[in-house]
Amino acid sequence: MTLLLAATLAALQAAQGPDPRLERLDSISRPIVTALVDSARAVALPTEPLVQRALEGATKRATADRIVAAVRRLAVDLGHARDALGATASPTELTAAAAALRAGAPPATLTELRRIRREPLTVPLAVLTDLVASGVPVDSAAAAVLSLAAKARDADLVEFRRAVERDIALGAPPASATAAAAAFAAAAVQVNAGAKQQRPGRP
Amino acid sequence: MFEPDEELIGRVVRQLRRPVTVDAGLDARVMEQVRRLPPRRAGGAAHATWGWLTRPRTVPFLPLGALAVAAVFVAVVLWRPDRPSRPASMSEFGFVVVAPRATTVSLVGDFNDWDAARTPMQRVRKDESVWTAVIPLTPGRYRYAFLVDGVRWLADPAAPAARDDEYGAPSSVVTVGGS
Repeated sequence: MTLLLAATLAALQAAQGPDPRLERLDSISRPIVTALVDSARAVALPTEPLVQRALEGATKRATADRIVAAVRRLAVDLGHARDALGATASPTELTAAAAALRAGAPPATLTELRRIRREPLTVPLAVLTDLVASGVPVDSAAAAVLSLAAKARDADLVEFRRAVERDIALGAPPASATAAAAAFAAAAVQVNAGAKQQRPGRP
Repeated sequence: MFEPDEELIGRVVRQLRRPVTVDAGLDARVMEQVRRLPPRRAGGAAHATWGWLTRPRTVPFLPLGALAVAAVFVAVVLWRPDRPSRPASMSEFGFVVVAPRATTVSLVGDFNDWDAARTPMQRVRKDESVWTAVIPLTPGRYRYAFLVDGVRWLADPAAPAARDDEYGAPSSVVTVGGS
């Protein structure tokens, strides 16, 4: 029975073949990206982010070297993200975690997020990454997200990020804006508990 | 009607103690019969294995065991590394960009394979410089950008910038949550 299951799995994977979307790549980058995608699949890493990163390069008319380098780097980041979050992390969590690591978040912060939050980590990780991209020091951003992650809903975290960005735009120092918004968000988490996300949303 | 036990045993013992004379040609006759047997065919092991595999037989099993085997089979067939581990709910997201003098504007990103033909944006009637698009998104983090007139890339000024931009053209990030 084990042999039958293994044979079925191997046949399914072989039947998948190369992703037809990668036909949009040039002849130089296509085989390398295909091999990188196959390697990621072999170790159970999500392949869709790699395909999308390659397609982004093709649409932006990037050179083959840049496309291959970007896909390879993302594959490495996804591996590190899984090391930090554990094997149960979803593809969307791994994608967000890879971006957070690339932004400079310590792996220990990701592991701690996994420990304290039961809900998916995609939004907390994205908020962390976006704060760093806005100029907030990594340590301040990580501390703020960790302080909110245990109880805040995704919508609360997104609102927290908007508040920080708004205060920064108004001239507040990034670290101070983050601390103030985190304190306000922590107090508001209970108040917002019954609110629902508006549709359609905005990034 | 029956002999006494001692007498019967004594007769059997005497019979067994009698010298036995074996015909001198016995060995020769036996080997002659052996040589007359049909020779074994080549690939006998394979033949025997095939016979073992194809021979009908009755295999006892528990219905619970059969259900467990079926469940494992279905799990293997349905398993994919990329399959979301949780059911994904869709949310509609609106994208807006101001692009005066633009002829066409496309929304491209991780949600449409970066295909410029997939999501053309619509011009707002009241203000022809404003372009919008509303698309459904499942929870996740997406990179995207606006492509103006097929040649010019614009990031979304209202969204966080993609920090890991390796292609020299700006992109933005949208994160869709589930709670």
